[in-house]
Amino acid sequence: MMRVLGVLVLTCLPLQTVLAAGWSFDKAIEVTPQPAGKVFHHLDGAGRRNIAAGDKGVALAWEDDRDGTPRIYFAYKAYGGDRFTTEQRISGEEEAYEPGLTALSDERFALVWEEQGAIWLRLVRFGDSPALGPRIRISHEQGAQATLTSEGDRLFVLWSEREGRYGRIRSRSFRVQGLDPLPQSDCPVDAAAPTDEQLYPAATLVRGRLVVAWEDRRPKHTIIMAAAEKAPGACLFSEPARISEKPEGRNLPYGTGHGVSRVAIDCVGEDKAFAAWADKRSFRNGYDIWGAYYDDDSRSFGKNERVQDDFGGLSKQRHAAVAGLADGELVVAWDDEREGNTDLMLSWREMEGWSDDWPLPVASGSGLQGSPSIVFDHAGNLHATWVERQAAGGTTRLLYAFGRVEKR
Amino acid sequence: MMLKRLPACLLPILLTLLNPLWADAPDGYPFLPFDEAMNQSQAEGKPMFVYFGRYGCGYCEKTNREAFVDPEVKRRYTDHYVLAYVDAESGRRLRLPSGERIPERELGTRYNALVTPIFTFMNAEGDPLYRMVGVQRIEDLIEADDKIQASLSQAERP
Repeated sequence: MMRVLGVLVLTCLPLQTVLAAGWSFDKAIEVTPQPAGKVFHHLDGAGRRNIAAGDKGVALAWEDDRDGTPRIYFAYKAYGGDRFTTEQRISGEEEAYEPGLTALSDERFALVWEEQGAIWLRLVRFGDSPALGPRIRISHEQGAQATLTSEGDRLFVLWSEREGRYGRIRSRSFRVQGLDPLPQSDCPVDAAAPTDEQLYPAATLVRGRLVVAWEDRRPKHTIIMAAAEKAPGACLFSEPARISEKPEGRNLPYGTGHGVSRVAIDCVGEDKAFAAWADKRSFRNGYDIWGAYYDDDSRSFGKNERVQDDFGGLSKQRHAAVAGLADGELVVAWDDEREGNTDLMLSWREMEGWSDDWPLPVASGSGLQGSPSIVFDHAGNLHATWVERQAAGGTTRLLYAFGRVEKR
Repeated sequence: MMLKRLPACLLPILLTLLNPLWADAPDGYPFLPFDEAMNQSQAEGKPMFVYFGRYGCGYCEKTNREAFVDPEVKRRYTDHYVLAYVDAESGRRLRLPSGERIPERELGTRYNALVTPIFTFMNAEGDPLYRMVGVQRIEDLIEADDKIQASLSQAERP
């Protein structure tokens, strides 16, 4: 009888209390006051780097159209603070899209975005003496889908630059002095000219070496490819290799292969990285979240792993975001519709594999919560931002929540 | 002229060679980006036929090669609808009637284009009227057109 009662109690408990999540999330904070009229916020930069953790606070970069034109904004919140600073407009006068953000030393942050068909970079300092650096155009030709990563004062920006008919992933590195990015290197990631589109890069640093993954259409369908720098700072990369596997036993007489989209990547531990993406290998059920570890010893990615659990199989998943820590902690977040509305779902890596999926309590339930970006701070707390709508296609709110680390 | 002298059995092979190997919108149809199609649909008072496809999509290619090549299908769909093609993985931006700018991939998500191909008849406001999922045959497309045209005629009656 007691056993039956126990099972009943367990069954009735919310999922989050059964699962041993490592973080306890505070109530969500609205990042920016809701302006009068319609506004649409977007967190959709390549690699999903819209949140960054500094030494003293957390920063966000997003696009919204509060004045009728899509522009890039930035806001900062000190750790322990209960609100974000008034947002700072970062982009220029034209329509601007798909920002990315990374933390540098000394409470400085770097932002990239697309404006006027080119890629722009700007540095920001927060803390005791807030300041904005100049806007600098960094793409040579038409560019889109920028992402970035950093280590101390070293900054790496990647984007898809038009070369003839196709986009080609380029990498530029900078040494940051104050709020000035001093150019260091500039090269395409794949030395061979593109034969089809290279899109939506994601990048991280492993032992100082840049590891880049991107969408590639060279086999006439979309796959994820990746390459690693041959030496830290070399701007010379390994031969690109396909990392999204072809499912076994699928040789359709039509088409060229299954679809994948929007890779994100972060460093995990001292010598690894994890890349996650939406993958349609189970083609009847739409995209699922899959990923693979990069091992710097072998300079290659391992076998693909399905990140989400079995219960998400028949519903939509998309917008995978990745956060890793030096101690090996690894979390993937994504949008998930298994419970009817779109919720934010998390899964983290455990000894035996991926945890059961966990709907983030402050970003699930009524309304539609999606487009996550996540980051760990140095203490192992997890910070998340996302976009909320009350109805599909409706206006949006930009939200943030702090996840206090509980198990270390 | 030359086509007329070809043995009928070679025609499918020739069509295969003429078509791209990856699945975009079928050749010879005036498919537009979704937002342009919506504007045209409003201006002309015609419903939209929206093709949610994907680069490399096998069942899109099968439908292109086996159904959209049919002259009657082409005539009906070109005459009766404003045609829109959405690449469900593309980053190409669209401006929606709400004013929001989103990439085609997000549009596919909003219309629940979980698999491809999906074909959706929509009114000029973008509201779905009828939806077909997966591979379509010539007769499927003709039957769907008959249904839509019949319901439009019925709606127009006083």
